[in-house]
Amino acid sequence: MSAKFEKIKRQDMIKLPYMLDFYPLQDEKFTRIGKFFQNLKEGKLTTTKCKNCGKLFWPPRIVCSECFSENLEWVDLGVEGELYAFTEMRLGAPLGFVEDAPFCIGLVKIGGLLISARIDEAKYEDLKARDKVKLKIVELQDGRVFYRFYKAKEL
Amino acid sequence: MQEAGKAMFASVPNFSPKDVDSLIVGAAQPERFIFQAHVAPMVAEYLGITPRKVVARTELMCASGQAAIRYAWACVATGMADIAVAFGVEKMYMPDMTEAQTNMTCVLDREWDGVNGLSAPPFFAMTAQRHMHEFGTTKEQMALISTKNHHYSTMNPVAHFQKEVAVEDVFKSPMIAPPLNLFDCSSMTDGAAGLILVPAEDAKKFTDTPMYIIGSGQANIGNVINNLASLTEWIPLKMAVQETLRTAKITRDEIDIAELHDCFTISEILEYEAFGWCEKGKGGKFVEDGEPYIGGKVAVNPRGGLLGCGHPLGATAILQTLDILQQFRGEVPEGRLVKDAEIAVAHNLSGAANVHSILAYSRGPK
Repeated sequence: MSAKFEKIKRQDMIKLPYMLDFYPLQDEKFTRIGKFFQNLKEGKLTTTKCKNCGKLFWPPRIVCSECFSENLEWVDLGVEGELYAFTEMRLGAPLGFVEDAPFCIGLVKIGGLLISARIDEAKYEDLKARDKVKLKIVELQDGRVFYRFYKAKEL
Repeated sequence: MQEAGKAMFASVPNFSPKDVDSLIVGAAQPERFIFQAHVAPMVAEYLGITPRKVVARTELMCASGQAAIRYAWACVATGMADIAVAFGVEKMYMPDMTEAQTNMTCVLDREWDGVNGLSAPPFFAMTAQRHMHEFGTTKEQMALISTKNHHYSTMNPVAHFQKEVAVEDVFKSPMIAPPLNLFDCSSMTDGAAGLILVPAEDAKKFTDTPMYIIGSGQANIGNVINNLASLTEWIPLKMAVQETLRTAKITRDEIDIAELHDCFTISEILEYEAFGWCEKGKGGKFVEDGEPYIGGKVAVNPRGGLLGCGHPLGATAILQTLDILQQFRGEVPEGRLVKDAEIAVAHNLSGAANVHSILAYSRGPK
Protein backbone atom coordinates (compact mmCIF):
# COMPACT_ATOMS: atom_id res chain seq x y z
CA MET A 1 0.00 0.00 0.00
CA SER A 2 2.62 2.53 1.10
CA ALA A 3 4.73 1.68 -1.96
CA LYS A 4 2.35 3.88 -3.92
CA PHE A 5 3.51 7.00 -2.18
CA GLU A 6 6.69 8.96 -2.63
CA LYS A 7 8.73 8.77 0.57
CA ILE A 8 9.76 12.06 2.12
CA LYS A 9 11.93 12.63 5.15
CA ARG A 10 11.38 14.52 8.36
CA GLN A 11 14.26 14.80 10.79
CA ASP A 12 13.45 12.71 13.87
CA MET A 13 16.04 14.26 16.12
CA ILE A 14 17.00 17.89 16.21
CA LYS A 15 19.36 19.77 18.48
CA LEU A 16 17.38 21.22 21.40
CA PRO A 17 16.53 24.73 20.18
CA TYR A 18 17.08 27.68 22.47
CA MET A 19 13.33 28.20 22.77
CA LEU A 20 13.22 24.91 24.66
CA ASP A 21 16.40 25.46 26.61
CA PHE A 22 15.61 26.20 30.23
CA TYR A 23 18.96 27.79 30.98
CA PRO A 24 19.13 31.56 30.52
CA LEU A 25 21.25 33.13 27.78
CA GLN A 26 24.13 34.71 29.63
CA ASP A 27 26.22 36.67 27.19
CA GLU A 28 26.00 40.50 27.36
CA LYS A 29 24.59 40.34 23.81
CA PHE A 30 21.43 38.72 25.13
CA THR A 31 20.93 40.02 28.65
CA ARG A 32 21.37 43.14 30.76
CA ILE A 33 22.23 41.05 33.83
CA GLY A 34 25.32 39.37 32.38
CA LYS A 35 27.14 40.44 35.55
CA PHE A 36 25.11 37.87 37.52
CA PHE A 37 26.59 35.08 35.42
CA GLN A 38 30.09 36.59 35.52
CA ASN A 39 29.85 36.64 39.31
CA LEU A 40 28.61 33.06 39.26
CA LYS A 41 31.68 32.04 37.23
CA GLU A 42 33.76 33.49 40.07
CA GLY A 43 31.87 31.30 42.54
CA LYS A 44 29.58 34.03 43.86
CA LEU A 45 25.77 33.92 43.95
CA THR A 46 24.67 37.55 43.78
CA THR A 47 21.65 39.71 43.18
CA THR A 48 20.85 43.39 42.89
CA LYS A 49 19.89 45.79 45.66
CA CYS A 50 18.56 49.31 45.13
CA LYS A 51 21.06 51.87 46.47
CA ASN A 52 18.29 54.44 46.60
CA CYS A 53 15.56 52.65 48.59
CA GLY A 54 17.36 49.53 49.81
CA LYS A 55 15.03 46.97 48.21
CA LEU A 56 16.65 43.57 47.62
CA PHE A 57 15.49 41.86 44.43
CA TRP A 58 15.25 38.34 43.10
CA PRO A 59 15.75 37.80 40.25
CA PRO A 60 18.34 40.54 39.63
CA ARG A 61 17.01 43.74 38.02
CA ILE A 62 18.30 46.70 36.11
CA VAL A 63 15.54 49.03 37.34
CA CYS A 64 14.09 49.17 40.88
CA SER A 65 10.35 48.46 40.71
CA GLU A 66 9.80 50.25 44.05
CA CYS A 67 11.36 53.64 43.25
CA PHE A 68 12.41 53.21 39.59
CA SER A 69 16.01 54.04 40.40
CA GLU A 70 18.63 52.58 38.08
CA ASN A 71 21.25 52.94 40.79
CA LEU A 72 21.50 49.28 41.80
CA GLU A 73 24.42 47.41 43.33
CA TRP A 74 25.41 43.74 43.23
CA VAL A 75 25.35 42.02 46.62
CA ASP A 76 26.77 38.61 47.54
CA LEU A 77 24.20 36.18 48.95
CA GLY A 78 26.77 33.87 50.54
CA VAL A 79 27.29 30.16 50.06
CA GLU A 80 25.14 28.60 52.76
CA GLY A 81 21.35 28.34 52.77
CA GLU A 82 18.59 26.64 54.71
CA LEU A 83 16.07 24.28 53.13
CA TYR A 84 12.48 25.56 53.40
CA ALA A 85 10.53 23.06 51.24
CA PHE A 86 11.51 20.21 48.92
CA THR A 87 10.40 17.46 46.59
CA GLU A 88 11.92 15.04 44.12
CA MET A 89 11.19 14.94 40.39
CA ARG A 90 10.57 11.26 39.73
CA LEU A 91 8.17 11.14 36.78
CA GLY A 92 7.20 13.80 34.26
CA ALA A 93 10.53 15.59 33.91
CA PRO A 94 10.71 17.94 30.92
CA LEU A 95 12.93 17.47 27.85
CA GLY A 96 16.54 18.08 28.73
CA PHE A 97 16.04 16.88 32.32
CA VAL A 98 14.60 13.40 31.69
CA GLU A 99 18.04 11.80 32.01
CA ASP A 100 18.61 13.58 35.34
CA ALA A 101 15.52 12.15 37.05
CA PRO A 102 15.10 11.42 39.86
CA PHE A 103 16.47 14.69 41.21
CA CYS A 104 15.57 16.84 44.21
CA ILE A 105 14.25 20.38 44.00
CA GLY A 106 14.05 22.68 46.98
CA LEU A 107 13.21 26.16 48.11
CA VAL A 108 16.25 27.61 49.84
CA LYS A 109 16.45 30.55 52.23
CA ILE A 110 19.64 32.42 51.48
CA GLY A 111 20.78 35.99 52.06
CA GLY A 112 17.26 37.19 52.88
CA LEU A 113 15.70 35.53 49.80
CA LEU A 114 13.72 32.37 49.11
CA ILE A 115 14.81 30.81 45.82
CA SER A 116 14.18 27.53 44.04
CA ALA A 117 17.11 25.32 43.08
CA ARG A 118 18.16 21.77 42.37
CA ILE A 119 19.37 20.01 45.54
CA ASP A 120 22.14 17.58 44.64
CA GLU A 121 23.59 14.66 46.57
CA ALA A 122 20.33 13.81 48.34
CA LYS A 123 17.22 11.72 48.00
CA TYR A 124 13.80 12.97 49.13
CA GLU A 125 13.93 10.68 52.16
CA ASP A 126 17.23 12.23 53.29
CA LEU A 127 15.86 15.77 53.41
CA LYS A 128 14.06 17.69 56.11
CA ALA A 129 13.03 21.32 56.62
CA ARG A 130 15.85 23.55 57.91
CA ASP A 131 18.60 21.31 56.53
CA LYS A 132 21.76 23.26 55.77
CA VAL A 133 22.57 23.36 52.07
CA LYS A 134 25.67 24.69 50.32
CA LEU A 135 26.07 26.49 47.02
CA LYS A 136 27.60 24.71 44.05
CA ILE A 137 28.14 26.01 40.53
CA VAL A 138 27.54 23.80 37.51
CA GLU A 139 28.77 24.39 33.96
CA LEU A 140 27.03 23.41 30.72
CA GLN A 141 28.95 22.09 27.67
CA ASP A 142 28.67 25.51 26.03
CA GLY A 143 30.28 27.29 28.97
CA ARG A 144 27.14 28.70 30.54
CA VAL A 145 26.94 28.34 34.32
CA PHE A 146 24.15 27.92 36.85
CA TYR A 147 23.73 27.50 40.59
CA ARG A 148 22.58 24.49 42.56
CA PHE A 149 22.84 23.46 46.20
CA TYR A 150 23.91 20.25 47.88
CA LYS A 151 23.07 18.91 51.27
CA ALA A 152 25.88 19.77 53.70
CA LYS A 153 27.37 16.83 55.56
CA GLU A 154 26.30 16.69 59.19
CA LEU A 155 29.11 17.46 61.63
CA MET B 1 -14.10 22.04 19.49
CA GLN B 2 -16.71 21.35 16.80
CA GLU B 3 -18.69 19.04 19.08
CA ALA B 4 -18.65 21.62 21.88
CA GLY B 5 -19.84 24.32 19.48
CA LYS B 6 -22.63 22.11 18.21
CA ALA B 7 -23.76 21.28 21.77
CA MET B 8 -23.69 24.95 22.76
CA PHE B 9 -25.90 26.06 19.88
CA ALA B 10 -28.18 23.01 20.21
CA SER B 11 -28.93 23.99 23.81
CA VAL B 12 -30.61 27.26 22.74
CA PRO B 13 -33.53 26.79 20.30
CA ASN B 14 -33.90 29.29 17.47
CA PHE B 15 -30.39 30.60 18.03
CA SER B 16 -27.66 30.34 15.45
CA PRO B 17 -23.97 31.18 15.11
CA LYS B 18 -24.98 34.15 12.95
CA ASP B 19 -26.57 35.79 16.03
CA VAL B 20 -23.21 35.92 17.83
CA ASP B 21 -21.35 39.21 17.36
CA SER B 22 -18.34 38.57 19.60
CA LEU B 23 -16.04 35.69 20.50
CA ILE B 24 -13.45 35.41 23.26
CA VAL B 25 -11.43 32.18 23.25
CA GLY B 26 -9.56 30.95 26.32
CA ALA B 27 -6.56 28.83 25.35
CA ALA B 28 -3.39 28.59 27.39
CA GLN B 29 -0.64 27.19 25.19
CA PRO B 30 -1.76 26.31 21.66
CA GLU B 31 1.60 27.59 20.36
CA ARG B 32 3.33 24.80 22.24
CA PHE B 33 0.73 22.01 22.32
CA ILE B 34 -0.40 22.17 18.69
CA PHE B 35 2.10 24.68 17.22
CA GLN B 36 -0.72 27.05 16.38
CA ALA B 37 -1.19 30.73 17.22
CA HIS B 38 -4.15 33.02 16.41
CA VAL B 39 -6.71 30.44 17.50
CA ALA B 40 -9.74 32.73 18.03
CA PRO B 41 -10.39 33.07 14.27
CA MET B 42 -9.94 29.32 13.95
CA VAL B 43 -12.67 28.70 16.55
CA ALA B 44 -14.90 31.27 14.81
CA GLU B 45 -14.43 29.47 11.50
CA TYR B 46 -15.18 25.99 12.84
CA LEU B 47 -18.21 27.19 14.83
CA GLY B 48 -19.64 29.25 11.97
CA ILE B 49 -19.36 32.49 13.90
CA THR B 50 -18.59 35.77 12.12
CA PRO B 51 -17.51 38.14 14.90
CA ARG B 52 -18.25 41.76 14.05
CA LYS B 53 -17.72 43.49 17.39
CA VAL B 54 -15.02 41.76 19.42
CA VAL B 55 -12.73 38.79 18.73
CA ALA B 56 -9.67 37.81 20.77
CA ARG B 57 -7.98 35.05 22.74
CA THR B 58 -7.20 35.16 26.47
CA GLU B 59 -4.23 33.51 28.14
CA LEU B 60 -3.94 33.14 31.90
CA MET B 61 -2.57 29.60 31.92
CA CYS B 62 -4.89 27.36 33.96
CA ALA B 63 -7.38 30.24 34.31
CA SER B 64 -7.43 31.09 30.58
CA GLY B 65 -11.06 30.00 30.29
CA GLN B 66 -12.15 32.13 33.20
CA ALA B 67 -10.34 35.08 31.63
CA ALA B 68 -12.46 34.47 28.50
CA ILE B 69 -15.68 34.57 30.55
CA ARG B 70 -14.53 37.74 32.31
CA TYR B 71 -13.78 39.60 29.08
CA ALA B 72 -16.93 38.37 27.34
CA TRP B 73 -18.85 39.57 30.41
CA ALA B 74 -17.09 42.95 30.34
CA CYS B 75 -17.83 43.33 26.62
CA VAL B 76 -21.52 42.59 27.09
CA ALA B 77 -21.76 44.76 30.22
CA THR B 78 -20.17 47.78 28.55
CA GLY B 79 -22.09 47.40 25.30
CA MET B 80 -18.98 46.61 23.26
CA ALA B 81 -20.79 43.38 22.42
CA ASP B 82 -24.46 42.37 22.44
CA ILE B 83 -24.14 38.60 22.22
CA ALA B 84 -20.75 37.12 23.08
CA VAL B 85 -19.49 33.56 23.18
CA ALA B 86 -16.83 32.65 25.74
CA PHE B 87 -15.18 29.51 24.41
CA GLY B 88 -12.43 27.43 25.97
CA VAL B 89 -10.25 24.88 24.26
CA GLU B 90 -7.03 22.97 24.84
CA LYS B 91 -5.52 20.05 22.93
CA MET B 92 -2.96 18.47 25.27
CA TYR B 93 -2.65 14.82 24.27
CA MET B 94 0.57 14.45 22.27
CA PRO B 95 2.42 11.44 20.82
CA ASP B 96 5.26 12.11 23.26
CA MET B 97 3.96 13.31 26.60
CA THR B 98 7.47 14.42 27.59
CA GLU B 99 6.93 17.32 25.24
CA ALA B 100 3.66 18.14 26.98
CA GLN B 101 5.44 18.06 30.36
CA THR B 102 8.02 20.42 28.91
CA ASN B 103 5.31 22.90 27.97
CA MET B 104 4.17 22.99 31.57
CA THR B 105 7.66 23.98 32.69
CA CYS B 106 7.49 27.49 31.21
CA VAL B 107 4.52 28.48 33.38
CA LEU B 108 6.57 29.56 36.36
CA ASP B 109 9.43 31.94 35.58
CA ARG B 110 11.36 29.73 33.14
CA GLU B 111 14.84 31.17 33.74
CA TRP B 112 14.74 31.11 37.57
CA ASP B 113 12.19 28.43 38.54
CA GLY B 114 11.41 26.32 35.45
CA VAL B 115 15.16 25.82 34.97
CA ASN B 116 15.21 23.87 38.23
CA GLY B 117 12.59 21.46 36.93
CA LEU B 118 9.69 23.30 38.51
CA SER B 119 6.67 22.30 36.47
CA ALA B 120 3.31 22.01 38.21
CA PRO B 121 3.70 18.68 40.07
CA PRO B 122 6.96 19.53 41.91
CA PHE B 123 5.71 23.03 42.79
CA PHE B 124 2.51 21.70 44.36
CA ALA B 125 4.47 18.81 45.89
CA MET B 126 6.57 21.36 47.80
CA THR B 127 3.38 23.17 48.82
CA ALA B 128 2.06 19.85 50.16
CA GLN B 129 5.35 18.97 51.85
CA ARG B 130 5.42 22.34 53.61
CA HIS B 131 1.70 22.17 54.57
CA MET B 132 2.26 18.71 56.06
CA HIS B 133 5.32 20.02 57.92
CA GLU B 134 3.57 23.12 59.31
CA PHE B 135 0.09 21.81 60.04
CA GLY B 136 0.34 18.02 60.20
CA THR B 137 -1.79 17.53 57.08
CA THR B 138 -1.63 13.87 56.02
CA LYS B 139 -1.42 11.99 52.75
CA GLU B 140 -4.65 10.22 53.72
CA GLN B 141 -6.43 13.58 53.95
CA MET B 142 -5.10 14.58 50.54
CA ALA B 143 -6.18 11.24 49.08
CA LEU B 144 -9.73 11.87 50.36
CA ILE B 145 -9.96 14.84 47.96
CA SER B 146 -9.12 12.52 45.07
CA THR B 147 -11.63 9.94 46.31
CA LYS B 148 -14.41 12.53 46.62
CA ASN B 149 -13.87 14.14 43.23
CA HIS B 150 -13.43 10.86 41.36
CA HIS B 151 -16.66 9.66 43.01
CA TYR B 152 -18.59 12.61 41.58
CA SER B 153 -16.93 12.29 38.17
CA THR B 154 -18.29 8.73 37.83
CA MET B 155 -21.65 10.45 37.41
CA ASN B 156 -20.39 12.95 34.83
CA PRO B 157 -20.52 11.55 31.29
CA VAL B 158 -18.03 14.12 29.97
CA ALA B 159 -15.44 13.40 32.70
CA HIS B 160 -12.06 11.97 31.67
CA PHE B 161 -12.15 9.48 34.58
CA GLN B 162 -15.20 7.31 35.22
CA LYS B 163 -13.94 5.00 37.98
CA GLU B 164 -14.03 5.23 41.75
CA VAL B 165 -10.62 5.84 43.33
CA ALA B 166 -10.08 4.60 46.89
CA VAL B 167 -7.49 6.06 49.29
CA GLU B 168 -5.30 2.97 48.80
CA ASP B 169 -5.56 3.41 44.99
CA VAL B 170 -4.02 6.87 45.40
CA PHE B 171 -1.20 5.41 47.52
CA LYS B 172 -0.58 2.61 45.00
CA SER B 173 -0.47 4.94 41.99
CA PRO B 174 3.01 5.91 40.73
CA MET B 175 4.92 8.50 42.73
CA ILE B 176 5.27 11.63 40.60
CA ALA B 177 6.94 14.06 43.00
CA PRO B 178 6.70 13.11 46.66
CA PRO B 179 4.43 13.54 48.53
CA LEU B 180 2.22 13.56 45.39
CA ASN B 181 1.20 10.31 43.72
CA LEU B 182 -0.36 10.18 40.26
CA PHE B 183 -3.92 10.31 41.63
CA ASP B 184 -3.05 13.45 43.61
CA CYS B 185 -2.61 15.16 40.23
CA SER B 186 -5.13 16.27 37.62
CA SER B 187 -4.46 15.08 34.11
CA MET B 188 -3.56 16.50 30.73
CA THR B 189 -6.80 16.25 28.81
CA ASP B 190 -8.26 17.42 25.51
CA GLY B 191 -11.38 19.50 25.97
CA ALA B 192 -13.58 22.28 24.68
CA ALA B 193 -16.76 24.03 25.79
CA GLY B 194 -18.62 27.26 25.19
CA LEU B 195 -20.96 29.67 26.95
CA ILE B 196 -23.25 32.36 25.54
CA LEU B 197 -23.32 35.70 27.37
CA VAL B 198 -25.99 38.37 26.88
CA PRO B 199 -27.12 41.31 29.02
CA ALA B 200 -29.15 40.06 32.03
CA GLU B 201 -32.28 41.88 30.88
CA ASP B 202 -32.17 40.06 27.52
CA ALA B 203 -31.51 36.58 28.91
CA LYS B 204 -35.13 35.39 28.98
CA LYS B 205 -35.43 36.07 25.24
CA PHE B 206 -33.07 33.13 24.70
CA THR B 207 -33.92 30.68 27.49
CA ASP B 208 -36.30 30.26 30.43
CA THR B 209 -33.41 29.05 32.56
CA PRO B 210 -30.38 31.36 32.29
CA MET B 211 -28.01 32.00 35.15
CA TYR B 212 -26.55 35.30 36.25
CA ILE B 213 -23.05 36.53 37.03
CA ILE B 214 -23.43 38.28 40.38
CA GLY B 215 -19.86 39.02 41.43
CA SER B 216 -16.19 38.46 40.87
CA GLY B 217 -12.80 38.65 42.49
CA GLN B 218 -9.29 38.30 41.19
CA ALA B 219 -5.88 38.92 42.76
CA ASN B 220 -2.21 38.37 41.94
CA ILE B 221 0.81 38.63 44.23
CA GLY B 222 4.28 38.09 42.77
CA ASN B 223 5.46 35.56 40.23
CA VAL B 224 8.88 34.12 40.97
CA ILE B 225 9.06 31.94 44.14
CA ASN B 226 10.81 34.66 46.19
CA ASN B 227 7.97 37.10 45.56
CA LEU B 228 5.01 34.88 46.49
CA ALA B 229 3.05 36.02 49.54
CA SER B 230 3.24 32.58 51.16
CA LEU B 231 3.62 28.96 50.09
CA THR B 232 1.03 27.53 52.47
CA GLU B 233 -1.51 30.32 52.83
CA TRP B 234 -2.99 31.57 49.58
CA ILE B 235 -3.26 35.28 50.36
CA PRO B 236 -4.32 36.32 46.81
CA LEU B 237 -7.16 33.79 47.03
CA LYS B 238 -8.28 35.26 50.36
CA MET B 239 -8.31 38.68 48.65
CA ALA B 240 -10.29 37.34 45.68
CA VAL B 241 -12.80 35.66 48.01
CA GLN B 242 -13.40 38.91 49.92
CA GLU B 243 -13.86 40.82 46.67
CA THR B 244 -16.27 38.18 45.34
CA LEU B 245 -18.40 38.23 48.50
CA ARG B 246 -18.40 42.05 48.49
CA THR B 247 -19.38 42.44 44.84
CA ALA B 248 -21.95 39.62 44.92
CA LYS B 249 -23.33 40.89 48.25
CA ILE B 250 -23.34 37.38 49.69
CA THR B 251 -21.76 35.65 52.67
CA ARG B 252 -19.62 32.55 52.27
CA ASP B 253 -22.33 30.53 54.03
CA GLU B 254 -24.75 31.31 51.20
CA ILE B 255 -22.57 29.47 48.66
CA ASP B 256 -24.28 26.17 47.77
CA ILE B 257 -21.82 24.93 45.14
CA ALA B 258 -18.10 25.67 44.88
CA GLU B 259 -16.26 24.56 41.76
CA LEU B 260 -12.70 24.88 43.07
CA HIS B 261 -9.47 24.45 41.17
CA ASP B 262 -8.28 21.03 42.40
CA CYS B 263 -5.32 20.76 40.03
CA PHE B 264 -3.70 18.79 42.85
CA THR B 265 -5.29 17.37 46.01
CA ILE B 266 -3.35 19.82 48.19
CA SER B 267 -4.84 22.73 46.22
CA GLU B 268 -8.38 21.98 47.35
CA ILE B 269 -7.22 21.77 50.98
CA LEU B 270 -5.64 25.24 50.80
CA GLU B 271 -8.77 26.54 49.07
CA TYR B 272 -11.10 25.45 51.93
CA GLU B 273 -8.85 27.48 54.21
CA ALA B 274 -8.65 30.57 52.02
CA PHE B 275 -12.41 30.61 51.45
CA GLY B 276 -12.75 30.63 55.24
CA TRP B 277 -14.87 27.49 55.57
CA CYS B 278 -12.28 26.25 58.04
CA GLU B 279 -9.27 27.66 59.88
CA LYS B 280 -5.80 27.94 58.36
CA GLY B 281 -4.12 24.54 58.52
CA LYS B 282 -7.40 22.66 59.09
CA GLY B 283 -8.27 21.93 55.44
CA GLY B 284 -7.32 18.27 55.85
CA LYS B 285 -9.68 17.83 58.79
CA PHE B 286 -12.43 19.63 56.83
CA VAL B 287 -12.50 16.89 54.19
CA GLU B 288 -12.02 14.17 56.82
CA ASP B 289 -15.20 15.46 58.51
CA GLY B 290 -17.14 15.20 55.24
CA GLU B 291 -17.82 18.94 55.06
CA PRO B 292 -17.06 19.47 51.33
CA TYR B 293 -19.43 16.70 50.21
CA ILE B 294 -23.00 17.31 49.01
CA GLY B 295 -25.00 17.65 52.23
CA GLY B 296 -21.99 19.00 54.14
CA LYS B 297 -21.07 22.62 54.80
CA VAL B 298 -20.59 23.34 51.07
CA ALA B 299 -20.65 21.06 48.01
CA VAL B 300 -17.16 21.30 46.57
CA ASN B 301 -16.61 20.01 43.04
CA PRO B 302 -19.82 18.01 42.53
CA ARG B 303 -18.82 18.07 38.82
CA GLY B 304 -15.88 15.79 39.64
CA GLY B 305 -13.27 18.52 39.75
CA LEU B 306 -10.13 18.71 37.67
CA LEU B 307 -9.01 15.48 39.33
CA GLY B 308 -12.00 13.55 38.01
CA CYS B 309 -12.81 15.47 34.81
CA GLY B 310 -9.27 16.23 33.64
CA HIS B 311 -7.77 19.66 33.12
CA PRO B 312 -7.87 20.93 29.53
CA LEU B 313 -6.36 24.28 30.53
CA GLY B 314 -8.39 26.75 28.46
CA ALA B 315 -11.61 24.72 28.67
CA THR B 316 -11.63 23.98 32.40
CA ALA B 317 -13.32 27.18 33.62
CA ILE B 318 -15.96 26.96 30.89
CA LEU B 319 -16.71 23.34 31.85
CA GLN B 320 -16.98 24.28 35.55
CA THR B 321 -19.43 27.05 34.65
CA LEU B 322 -21.51 24.84 32.36
CA ASP B 323 -21.86 22.31 35.14
CA ILE B 324 -23.07 25.02 37.53
CA LEU B 325 -25.72 25.97 34.94
CA GLN B 326 -26.78 22.34 34.65
CA GLN B 327 -26.91 22.08 38.46
CA PHE B 328 -29.21 25.13 38.61
CA ARG B 329 -31.38 23.55 35.91
CA GLY B 330 -31.48 20.21 37.74
CA GLU B 331 -29.99 18.48 34.70
CA VAL B 332 -27.23 16.51 36.45
CA PRO B 333 -27.62 12.93 37.79
CA GLU B 334 -29.29 12.59 41.18
CA GLY B 335 -26.13 11.32 42.90
CA ARG B 336 -24.27 14.57 42.34
CA LEU B 337 -27.19 17.01 42.28
CA VAL B 338 -27.07 19.84 44.82
CA LYS B 339 -30.80 20.26 45.42
CA ASP B 340 -32.24 23.78 45.33
CA ALA B 341 -28.85 25.35 44.81
CA GLU B 342 -29.17 29.12 44.34
CA ILE B 343 -25.60 30.45 44.52
CA ALA B 344 -22.36 29.01 43.19
CA VAL B 345 -18.76 30.09 42.74
CA ALA B 346 -16.21 28.93 40.18
CA HIS B 347 -12.55 29.35 41.07
CA ASN B 348 -9.34 28.93 39.11
CA LEU B 349 -5.77 29.38 40.17
CA SER B 350 -2.89 29.79 37.80
CA GLY B 351 0.90 29.68 37.89
CA ALA B 352 2.51 29.24 41.28
CA ALA B 353 -0.94 29.85 42.83
CA ASN B 354 0.05 33.52 42.63
CA VAL B 355 -3.10 34.35 40.64
CA HIS B 356 -6.62 33.45 41.77
CA SER B 357 -9.79 34.16 39.82
CA ILE B 358 -13.38 33.71 41.03
CA LEU B 359 -16.78 34.31 39.47
CA ALA B 360 -20.04 34.05 41.44
CA TYR B 361 -23.29 32.90 39.82
CA SER B 362 -26.95 32.80 40.88
CA ARG B 363 -29.90 30.85 39.56
CA GLY B 364 -32.22 33.84 39.72
CA PRO B 365 -31.59 37.50 38.93
CA LYS B 366 -29.99 39.35 41.82
